[in-house]
Amino acid sequence: MTLNPIQPTSRQRYEQLEHTADLALRIYGQDLRELFANAAFAMFSQLAEDIEHMATPISRQVAVEGIDYESLLVNWLNELLYLHDAKREIYAAFDIHELSPYQLKATVRGDRNQNIRSIIKGATYHGLAIVQTAEGYTATIIFDV
Amino acid sequence: MVSKKDLNRIEEYLWEIPADYRSDMRVPARIYADNDLLEAALQDRSVEQLINTACLPGVVKYTLAMPDIHQGYGPPIGGVAAMNVKDGVVSPGAVGYDINCGVRLLRTNLEAERVKPLMAEIMDALYHGVPSGVGRGGDVRVSGKDMDDVLEQGAAWAVKKGYGTKEDLEHTEEQGSLAGARASAVSRKAKDRGNDQLGTLGSGNHFIEVGEVVEVYDQEVAEKFGVFLGQLVVWIHSGSRGLGHQVCDDYIKRMQGSLSKYGIRLPDRELVCAPVDSPEGQDYMAAMACAANYAWANRQLLMHRVRTILDQVLAPHFKGRSFELIYDVAHNIAKIEEFTINGRTIKVVVHRKGATRSFGPGHPALPADYRSVGQPVLVPGDMGTASYLLVGTAEAADKSFASTCHGAGRVLSRHAVMKQVRGEELQQRLAQQGITIRGPMKGLAEEAPEAYKDIDRVVHVVHEAGLARKVAKMVPLGVMKG
Repeated sequence: MTLNPIQPTSRQRYEQLEHTADLALRIYGQDLRELFANAAFAMFSQLAEDIEHMATPISRQVAVEGIDYESLLVNWLNELLYLHDAKREIYAAFDIHELSPYQLKATVRGDRNQNIRSIIKGATYHGLAIVQTAEGYTATIIFDV
Repeated sequence: MVSKKDLNRIEEYLWEIPADYRSDMRVPARIYADNDLLEAALQDRSVEQLINTACLPGVVKYTLAMPDIHQGYGPPIGGVAAMNVKDGVVSPGAVGYDINCGVRLLRTNLEAERVKPLMAEIMDALYHGVPSGVGRGGDVRVSGKDMDDVLEQGAAWAVKKGYGTKEDLEHTEEQGSLAGARASAVSRKAKDRGNDQLGTLGSGNHFIEVGEVVEVYDQEVAEKFGVFLGQLVVWIHSGSRGLGHQVCDDYIKRMQGSLSKYGIRLPDRELVCAPVDSPEGQDYMAAMACAANYAWANRQLLMHRVRTILDQVLAPHFKGRSFELIYDVAHNIAKIEEFTINGRTIKVVVHRKGATRSFGPGHPALPADYRSVGQPVLVPGDMGTASYLLVGTAEAADKSFASTCHGAGRVLSRHAVMKQVRGEELQQRLAQQGITIRGPMKGLAEEAPEAYKDIDRVVHVVHEAGLARKVAKMVPLGVMKG
């Protein structure tokens, strides 16, 4: 991908990249579990303001399946978008307790919708690759907004 | 990256990337554009995305980009690809998450000049009365049998329930009900998301716009469409909401799992697909038709609400008000249509992603009152400039699988425009131009006019290239953003 970073800083969870029509986020994680958790955090940071400081009284169990880590990542994010849309909830904390290329199990915590700022229609596979780096893992995800 | 030297100029406004440009291309890729629009398209990855769609199994003739092309995911936005139903594929990613995102245009019997003093009142009433934004439900809830009826009948369901007239259906693409819809192909999750979102606008680039006809290019066709200079008109832009997003997600997931079964190799996983004639392909077509029908029911309910509100606000000032539907078009959809290629008539699945159908005069799918002139083609622009009513042409069938542009097309990312424009300033600037804006301030800036290409130029290209002809130009007086 030849996307240009917008605000590169070190040790961040994610950064937003330029994309003409949709939303492009580059996600970082020291390991795959952190990458998956940070991807979910990044997505909800776009959906609502200031999720770092929100209370998280609601807890939900999430289990998704895939055929490899990339499909698992897309399925994980889209499952969370489903829960957000169907339950009208925002999630801010993501505890992933099982992760293989074929299955992810997690507890996510959040609250009723608040401080919503935009809509995301779906996480896509476009140009998606989970890449191992010296610091851990990175993935660039394009969302339909 | 593709550069201009890789393209052959075929006509003044038509460029082609030959099929031998990349080894996995099955057909050439064509772009309708002038020099500047082409240069803009070459700045991002949209042309590469167009080339990727030219690699899909069963793709025929060439893939196409309209002059409003811009970067999406999977195919570009403003992209068209047709696959033979016999040996080709259908691709949920090539339709997109917002299945049957589309637009409808209403004509009134009112002169805009006389309504202008009421614009603030009108826009306030619309903003308060039409459910919009993120997570706001509508007041028509459907579940169980009613949901299945919405999915299988579309706008006809809404009319049966009293939200509109038979004439509305005649003036909607597919009469607001796409054939082949099967509610059992739609997941429980998708239905869950849809049960309180009927009649809601959504957010992003969805809008309701009250406008004025400022130019008529073709008097005869304008008369057929009931359009006159100085007329007050209303645009509604929305789609299939969370239900459509879920259908797309469900089938992308399912087809990722079936790719190897059909031996399909892809340049981009978002173009995941399945043979049209396979259980996965057939189920997707049935579910996509359901989502399309949901979108038509949604726009029908939205229009009903808009009519009611406008009538209430205008009743003290005008006698005998009418708000009739000119037409409703889908611009994210896959449709089975027949075209003649090299003398043979074949059935294809035309994927239109950010492209509008453009049937010419005499087409049997058109309503009787428009059939002699062609299909109304609705091309909304950004909130500060103009929108166009065009008419379909016979030659578009041969040139572009009867497709044309769908809007101005983005040129700046949402992020980039947010850095340049503040919502409050934009609202003031538009107010000085006589345009009343209502909506969340943040979403407003994302949709600022500077984020879009020059719609006059986009429409000029499709007019000159023969993909549709100009009928009338309209400018916004009031815009409600979702």
